[in-house]
Amino acid sequence: MFGQLIVSGLAVGACYALLAIAMVIIYKSSEVLNFAQGEMAMVSTFVAFMLLDAYHVPFPWAAALTFLFAILLGIFFEIVFLRQAKDPTVIGLIIITLGFEMVLMGFAGWKWGPDQRSFPFPISNIEAYNFYGLIISKINFWTILITLVLMFILFLFFRYTKLGIAMRATQQNQLAARVMGIRTKWILSFTWAISSIVGAVAGMLIAALGILDPPMMMDPLLKGFASAVLGGMTSLPGTAVGGAMLGIIENLFGGYVSLAFKSAVAFIIIILMLCIKPSGLLAKHYVKKV
Amino acid sequence: MLKKNLTFIGVLMVMVFLIAAPATAQKVRGVTDTEILVGQWGPQTGPAAPWGAVARGTDLLFKIINEEGGIHGRKFKYYLRDDSYQPAKTKAIAKEFVEQIGVFAVVGGIGVATGMTARDYLMENKVPWYAPITGVYEWISPIQKYLFAQYPLYDDEAFNLTGYLHEKLGYKKIAMFYQNDDYGKQGAQGVERYLLRKKISLVAKVSAEMTDRDLSTHALKLKNSGAEAVIMWTMPTHAALILAESAKIGFKPQWATSNTLSDSALMMQITKGLWAGMINSFALELPDSNLPLMVKYREWHKKLAPQERWGTFYYAGIAFAEPFVEGVRRAGRDLTADNWVKAMETLKDWKGISSPITFTNPMDRQGGKHVFYGKVKPDGNIERLTDWIRITK
Repeated sequence: MFGQLIVSGLAVGACYALLAIAMVIIYKSSEVLNFAQGEMAMVSTFVAFMLLDAYHVPFPWAAALTFLFAILLGIFFEIVFLRQAKDPTVIGLIIITLGFEMVLMGFAGWKWGPDQRSFPFPISNIEAYNFYGLIISKINFWTILITLVLMFILFLFFRYTKLGIAMRATQQNQLAARVMGIRTKWILSFTWAISSIVGAVAGMLIAALGILDPPMMMDPLLKGFASAVLGGMTSLPGTAVGGAMLGIIENLFGGYVSLAFKSAVAFIIIILMLCIKPSGLLAKHYVKKV
Repeated sequence: MLKKNLTFIGVLMVMVFLIAAPATAQKVRGVTDTEILVGQWGPQTGPAAPWGAVARGTDLLFKIINEEGGIHGRKFKYYLRDDSYQPAKTKAIAKEFVEQIGVFAVVGGIGVATGMTARDYLMENKVPWYAPITGVYEWISPIQKYLFAQYPLYDDEAFNLTGYLHEKLGYKKIAMFYQNDDYGKQGAQGVERYLLRKKISLVAKVSAEMTDRDLSTHALKLKNSGAEAVIMWTMPTHAALILAESAKIGFKPQWATSNTLSDSALMMQITKGLWAGMINSFALELPDSNLPLMVKYREWHKKLAPQERWGTFYYAGIAFAEPFVEGVRRAGRDLTADNWVKAMETLKDWKGISSPITFTNPMDRQGGKHVFYGKVKPDGNIERLTDWIRITK
């Protein structure tokens, strides 16, 4: 049972980690907590569902088109809503993301209806690999793998590409970046686009693991937030570790202590971390702005 | 100046009162010469939205009756409000129904917590309320004059379902998977009540919270309990998730569940076929039933609401409003809340498209007391295992 709990914890944790990374990418660039993250991912997943189910587009193409949609959605939100705010405070921007969350939720309910659906994913969520007695379902295995690959790509992107470096520069000091000739406004839009893609991947994996319906991201988003707090809101590797840890801790708690309070563990972790180490496990420093 | 204003307002209020009082004394709230106003809340958005189809099904029934000429010269005017399954909203909707719209009655309404915020308010205002769409004791105990329940009691339903699994099918190791709220708990209570009588204990009792989306641990616990049969009392999402998680780890017990999950077309789709083999209790006729009433409703559905899927939740909205309409018919042209109550108390084994309904004992407001059992076939259709079985004494 122990091994089984760890494996399924890792798979769920991988999804939390992806959502957490999507949040952190934006948080690092603008200190905005994007509460619409979950619903942006959900809408993207519904777009994928529509392409697969109604238009019978082959999966790779549907995924590619979904990512394109996610990019446009991220940029659209940044340009049409956030950029229009006059002298925005961080709180003001966060409230805008909350509003956008509600708009998307309402839109999904209107467009696709409230019924639950199964997401046609090419990997079965029932079949399993058996590694010497440890059963790993195919979907769990691939979820973990896809997450790791995506993280590696993000790492390469931020470290080695010009655009990635420009994004990091903008995150560290917007004014200096602009002086150096970086178009910071576009960089910000691009941040939203990247975050939106990562969210869309998480959305599709979560739908494939379970069910597709408008409220599907509520719980994972909160858990993603908890993972980000656990790992460090400003550290990408930290959030990844935080997600994996949260998934495992939750499962072990549910398995050996109490199932009824399994969901509460994430919130206890948020509180504990904020009390003990507010910067998170892996974030390097915690700067308090005066 | 202020004094003058106050006097003016005072005089105005007295005048309004004098004009309005005799009129309202004769008038019945929500009943005019040509119309009967009826309201229902139901989640059209949020996590419980699939159940919201019930409230839309009721709309179809009222449309059919209006098309057929209404009842005693009056047509139904129906107000459907979305409470998103949030009790605070339900309370506000109940107030709107009574104070702004002025409905004659409330029909249906999904949810225990939601309905409970409105129950006392509706009863204080003497608003007839027919058939909250949940089977808990809160609707029939204590007895309320204007509140009639139809939905089979979860406790009794679970009690009998467990009996069916144990006595008819011979399962001894039974586990329970339920939603951690009144709905799930009263189901669990029925299962345990039966097993206690047989001096058997549950091999596992596993609950899930409404918002849970990862049920892998839950499935593992059920598997490790060695259960041969698992009874589940959850919402559709959790039912699908637990089946998928169980299949992943190779756990294949006999599953059984309540009539709340009897929309097998939906369940087959969201479980990718894992729903096949489920033993289900049913409180309504099956979707493809040849009962003349079902045939008639299906035809009207095609004509008046072709955009809706003809699923169990949808026509439940018809089933849980039919007896109310019958009460209105029996009350005659002189429709008041009290006349309606008297008329309802004449219903005896009255049969629409749900189980037989009886309200002749004024000390018993539980009208629906029967279910039947069925098994889901691999093609999603139902193999009917029994006739209507009485589950509540």
